[in-house]
Amino acid sequence: MSVDWITVAAQIANFLVLVWLLKRFLYRPILDGIDAREAEIATRMQEAEREKDKAAAIEAEYHDKVRALHVAQSEMTETVRKQAEEQRDELLAEAQQRMEREHASWRAHLDDEARKYTAQMHHVGASALLSLTRKALSDLADETLEARIAHHLVEKVKPMAADLARAAGQARVAVITSHDPLPPAAQKAVTGELNALFPDVPVRFESDPDQAPGLMLRIGGAQVAWTVESYIEGLDALISEKLARGTEPKAQDHER
Amino acid sequence: MNLTPDQIVMFDAWGVPINATIFYTWIVMGLLTVASMLITRNLRADVPPDRWRTTLEVIVQGIQGQIDEIAQGPSRHLLYFSGTLFLFVALSNLLLVIPGFRPPTSSLSTTTALAISVLIAVPLFGVSSRGLGGYLKTYLQPSPIMLPFNIISEFSRGISLAIRLYGNIMSGAVIAAILLGVAPFFFPVVMDVLGLLTGMIQAYIFAILATVYISSATATPSHPLSEKDNS
Repeated sequence: MSVDWITVAAQIANFLVLVWLLKRFLYRPILDGIDAREAEIATRMQEAEREKDKAAAIEAEYHDKVRALHVAQSEMTETVRKQAEEQRDELLAEAQQRMEREHASWRAHLDDEARKYTAQMHHVGASALLSLTRKALSDLADETLEARIAHHLVEKVKPMAADLARAAGQARVAVITSHDPLPPAAQKAVTGELNALFPDVPVRFESDPDQAPGLMLRIGGAQVAWTVESYIEGLDALISEKLARGTEPKAQDHER
Repeated sequence: MNLTPDQIVMFDAWGVPINATIFYTWIVMGLLTVASMLITRNLRADVPPDRWRTTLEVIVQGIQGQIDEIAQGPSRHLLYFSGTLFLFVALSNLLLVIPGFRPPTSSLSTTTALAISVLIAVPLFGVSSRGLGGYLKTYLQPSPIMLPFNIISEFSRGISLAIRLYGNIMSGAVIAAILLGVAPFFFPVVMDVLGLLTGMIQAYIFAILATVYISSATATPSHPLSEKDNS
């Protein structure tokens, strides 16, 4: 066991050289690499953290937008619903008004048709009544209808002659109006009767197609008339009653 | 039979005889250096490390971790010194299994050189850490009476380091050689395996002791190493 001091010196030198070599090619690159990698990892983690924060911010923004979108959608839906309801109400009201107008128009048209029908019925009824009455008077009493009407009017005037004379005042003429021109015989009879009641008042005869069949006497502001209107109205009431009686069983059958 | 490789001259270089100790030391140095250069030649932070680089990182970080447990704070210079001691001794001892290889650590000259290196490194690290006055004061502690004992202690550390490493490695190599002559088929293998274990342990002990000596010299008075060890 001996120590070779030259070898010792050489080994010390070798060891120092090895320290330098390993420092140069092992420790420094490895440790620097580790430090660089740790720095890189730290940087990437910070970057990841920033990206994570950024992603969280974007996510929050997205959720806010979605919430805002839902709110806007709800509001829009509500607005559209209200508009639809208003429009529906307007359309319903308009349809109701149009229906009411059409109903009113239809009712007016119906009333007009009813009036026309009634007028026609009056005319036809009056004509039929006059024709039948005239024929009955001619067959049974050998009298004309106009003469009987004139006589009836004069008989009607007689009880109220005083009142008529007062009402006539300073009237200078008595006017007899009929639907058709009165026959001369009837005119003569009426004139004679009235001259007996009102000696100073001349009598004039006129015809008015719009007037109902019959006679109408006007002296000044007074007026006395006999027409078939009341008879026609009575005939209407009778027909209506008969029609109503005739339709009741049918209506009851329909209800059953 | 040569007990020390110092007596084996491998070749002459410019008239200077190169013995086996120096020759095999150069081989170990070359292996360590070339391997380090090959592995660390293309290091990039953004590229994942391969398995060789990872192996080196594990070794270096393991050494750094051991040093950090002993020394106060990280010290790269201590890593360079103690790490190189460990790697050199460990690789030399591992190469014992290669037939014909004479580990440099089986030479008392090598272990003496390493011990002298530690003896020189201790005051150098102490002075660089505490300053010249601060380091010299440690020889007067705990009282000036202890000065001769502290000096003897410093030298005995180096001698014990050298003798321990030399004795273990040389004895392993010698015993393996003797057993190879007596029972060449089985026992030398067992002894070589045992020598590997012993060699790694000795490398660890040598490097740890060197680190402890240097750390005790560089420890600040307010935080002496004994307090850290007791805590």
